Amino acid sequence: MKRRDFLAATSASVLPIMLDGFGLKAMSHQSALVQSLLNTSALASDRILIIIYLNGGNDGLNTVIPLDQYSLYNGLRSNIAIPQNAVLGLDGNPATGLHPAMTGMRDLYNDGKLSIIHSVSYPNPDQSHYRATDIWMTAVDSNQISSSGWAGRYLENRFPGYPTGYPNDQMEDPLAIQIGYLTSTALLGSQQSMGIALSDPDSFYQLVGSTSTTSPNDLPCCDAGELIAFIRKQQALSVGYSSEIKQAADAGQNLATYPASGQNSLADQLKIVARLIHGGLKTKIYFVSLGGFDTHSGQVDSGDVTAGSHAALLGKLSTAVTTFQQDLKLQGTEDKVVGMTFSEFGRRANSNDSKGTDHGIAAPMFVFGSNLKHRTIGQNPDLANLTGQAGNKDVNMQIDFRRVYTDILNDWFGAQHTTTSSLLFHEFPTVSLFSDTVETVATGNWKDPNVWTVGRVPFANEYVKVNAGHTLTIDKTVSVKNIRLEGKLLFTGPYSIQMTG
Amino acid sequence: MSKFLVSIGNSALNRSNCSQQKFSFIFYGHELDKMVSLDTYTTILTAKTAAHLLRRATFGPTQSEIASFTGLTASQAVQQLITNANYSPPPPVDLDSDQPTAGQTYLDKPFSHDRNFDFGHYLRCWWLGLMTTQSTPPSLLDKLSLFWQNHFVTTREIVGDYRFLNQYLLLLRNNALGDFRTVVTQISKEPAMLRYLNGNENVVGHPNENYARELQELFTVGAFDFAGNKNYSEDDVKAAARVLTGWEYTNYEEDDSTSFTTIFTDEKHDSTDKTFSAHYNNTIISGRATSLPGTTSAGDAELADLVTMLLNHPHTPRFICRKLYRWYVNPTITQTIEDEIIGPLAQLFLASNYAIQPVIVKLLTSQLFFDETNSGAIVKSPAELAIGTMRFFNQPVPDITTEYAAFKIYFDFVYYRMQDMQLAILDQSSVFGYEAYYQTGYSKIWINTTTIGFRYDYTDAYVLRYLQVKPDYLMGIDVLAWATNLQPNFSDVAGTPAISCVDVLNGFTVNLFVFDLLQSQQDFLIDTIMMQDLPRTSWLFQWNAYRTNPMDGGASYEVRSRLENLMKYMLRMAEYQIF
Repeated sequence: MKRRDFLAATSASVLPIMLDGFGLKAMSHQSALVQSLLNTSALASDRILIIIYLNGGNDGLNTVIPLDQYSLYNGLRSNIAIPQNAVLGLDGNPATGLHPAMTGMRDLYNDGKLSIIHSVSYPNPDQSHYRATDIWMTAVDSNQISSSGWAGRYLENRFPGYPTGYPNDQMEDPLAIQIGYLTSTALLGSQQSMGIALSDPDSFYQLVGSTSTTSPNDLPCCDAGELIAFIRKQQALSVGYSSEIKQAADAGQNLATYPASGQNSLADQLKIVARLIHGGLKTKIYFVSLGGFDTHSGQVDSGDVTAGSHAALLGKLSTAVTTFQQDLKLQGTEDKVVGMTFSEFGRRANSNDSKGTDHGIAAPMFVFGSNLKHRTIGQNPDLANLTGQAGNKDVNMQIDFRRVYTDILNDWFGAQHTTTSSLLFHEFPTVSLFSDTVETVATGNWKDPNVWTVGRVPFANEYVKVNAGHTLTIDKTVSVKNIRLEGKLLFTGPYSIQMTG
Repeated sequence: MSKFLVSIGNSALNRSNCSQQKFSFIFYGHELDKMVSLDTYTTILTAKTAAHLLRRATFGPTQSEIASFTGLTASQAVQQLITNANYSPPPPVDLDSDQPTAGQTYLDKPFSHDRNFDFGHYLRCWWLGLMTTQSTPPSLLDKLSLFWQNHFVTTREIVGDYRFLNQYLLLLRNNALGDFRTVVTQISKEPAMLRYLNGNENVVGHPNENYARELQELFTVGAFDFAGNKNYSEDDVKAAARVLTGWEYTNYEEDDSTSFTTIFTDEKHDSTDKTFSAHYNNTIISGRATSLPGTTSAGDAELADLVTMLLNHPHTPRFICRKLYRWYVNPTITQTIEDEIIGPLAQLFLASNYAIQPVIVKLLTSQLFFDETNSGAIVKSPAELAIGTMRFFNQPVPDITTEYAAFKIYFDFVYYRMQDMQLAILDQSSVFGYEAYYQTGYSKIWINTTTIGFRYDYTDAYVLRYLQVKPDYLMGIDVLAWATNLQPNFSDVAGTPAISCVDVLNGFTVNLFVFDLLQSQQDFLIDTIMMQDLPRTSWLFQWNAYRTNPMDGGASYEVRSRLENLMKYMLRMAEYQIF
């Protein structure tokens, strides 16, 4: 479980997850992720991934609201349920709405730049923050432990001899950067020590300086020697990347208008990210986070259920993502970037008496960007068939989160499918995030959502592919844009497939 | 890829890494003949071992503390660290010079919402003051209190009411060496904790599971045992939440209120029986419906049963001892350490009926604790770096009552710098505590490309000397005075030879690092950093020029800048970041 361990880059046998740490953390040339991305189409295509961690377990049912089951929804959580008329409607999707604080993301959805992936989780879910976060970070089954993170594992496969022979000249810039903990800096009122803003890449440069005198490599034995080697490496790295970051920060500009600094920590972080992207930094992955989602209590205001701490968080998320996306568009970098949100678990379908929600299971993920092909993956949770006892109902999984990772590795970063399967320890079916074709994943009835990559029946405006070895039973006439048939269709009556495209 | 995976239930779920394998290998190879154990370390303490004990048991020693502990036995030394504890320090005061109440205590006054942030912050400063002060003999109390505060986390930001926070902190501090059972029991109904983990909103029919979960996962049994088996079930969380229904606090942030308390309401309590899983031997805690008039007896009775059940769980003492071991000895726990050290320590904890002091004494006086392989095995936390440097360089703490303005300047500096370095006192970012004490990587987490910069910036301040604590007190190290102290007969330039570069380096590094510097490092520091490739003899001329005319600006600048470069560099070294 050396998953957040930077030092792991010096060890051939264990690889780190790339994305953690404090403040602005530059990833080493030698990090697994950097190496993993070398020589792939990811590097060639300048593609960038933004990961947004919603820390604490986001309440999915008050984020993406099942309007088609409103009374069941209200019955589960009447003290926090968003009034039906306040829920934001979505174009072409009357069954589903967004929390009223999420106008920006509603617009992104309507523009085709936001995918809602319903009820994401994994089998045998865990409800400890720590363990659940681990599972998401390391992409394992819930009864397994991995010593490495999902992205980091890429390297060992591609570069078994690592670290010998690395780094090389193919990439000067840090490949992954985490920006974090800005709120803790921003909320302080004192004038003391406020001169250095972590959010400012220029001060990063000033802090670590531009040159370093390396000291001799002699090391004491045992753990102390290992720690000293680790610290020296960090010292060298901080200096090594500071000028690259400064250059990009100097060259880059924000073209959209973000909330005032300190108002929205996620927007503050994404603003830096956009500036660095615009400045030409070749960094491949940025990790940002927003905390406070552990809403056991008081997630809505007593007087107004559309306001309160959860509304504030979703408002921040929505504003930050939308402004960031707008910035990228104005910069002309929009097509290079895709972003995803995740949270360690969803929350209980039933609210508790404190106007809050306890730890639950599945919740929606959002993916945003201009390259997405489907606005909805999966469907609203079936609130009439939740698991658990009365008063303690949980939202079931529809989509395994590793299917989303699979699409990002395969279709965004261009990894080989067999490689991705071994990196994620299993083969996971695509959710067709980046493909406009909806495919079958199994034999079954056309109406069964589980037959389809997108976790729902294809829409009339979607391409469909029936994969080899699959037989689909059709017991009513269906419409699709077009269909490619490599498997079989079994009509139970005088039905047909109508092409709309 | 299967080598990355182990199933939970196998023996390999420990939050460890490959270096652990390496460590245990060295451990066996190196120590086979004298198996390092919990047996008492009987060798008389040298400056080096005394410094090791003081670095680990406190936030870092002064030179004179090292000297006074040299020559003691480990047992004597630890006993002193215990008996030196001051359980009745002067209370926090208003540190704002612009207020009419400046310098006065505020915890005995009615609650003031307007001053809530300030008073919470001054509480942090007060505690930092206790950690830093050099005027009393060193004690292990506040280092251990920080351990407990980081174990039973609540934060100023979420608790809000400074009185709640103060009472909570005192509970932990006063019982830091006391009875773990008492602490677990009291903390479960402590207003700050009821607030922080929503215990006050946990009522019959509508349980709020937040506290019940963390009580098990983080405070007592731990989520998993060392082998990776779950220690309790989700249903146990739900059952424990029901046991804990009915507790609330009063007068939260109530302006002008003069007291607050914990209350228990029978009607808000779930009085049905609660059945636990086989993890707890299928314990049934019988529901109590009615408290004796004017008491909280129903809630207390069930809480006592719950705590007893939690403390009877075989993994509770191990979980706590493992965490103490990581705090004091080494973040890496091998299977051998688990079997040979954690096991016996846990047995001792249990045998002493969960008294904490015997465990601390055992650990800090053990051969294991003093074994060389554990020297320098932890990265200094921001507390050990910031407070430790203040102490090591004798930066006196202003008197909180009479010099409150200076005290505030001093501890605003310490607090906010520690926060930059990611250790905000009494404001952990989550109930798990600071990441470096639970997350994979442990103390290495303190170091990254950004915090390195903040660490440099912090120690540079001792050399650059820009913080005016009070008119006659500039924080930092007067390197010229240090060097002058090293020079015999300073003014007798003709008769007494100048101290050499080596003398300076040796003088500056006494007890500064865990390890003696290697010859190659010493040469590097002198030739490259201090002399910047000038011959060492140049130093002698320059130093004598300064001795001859200390008032000469050019002469003093020359030597001072060399000494400052040296000191600045040494405090930036990786070797200074470990302890």
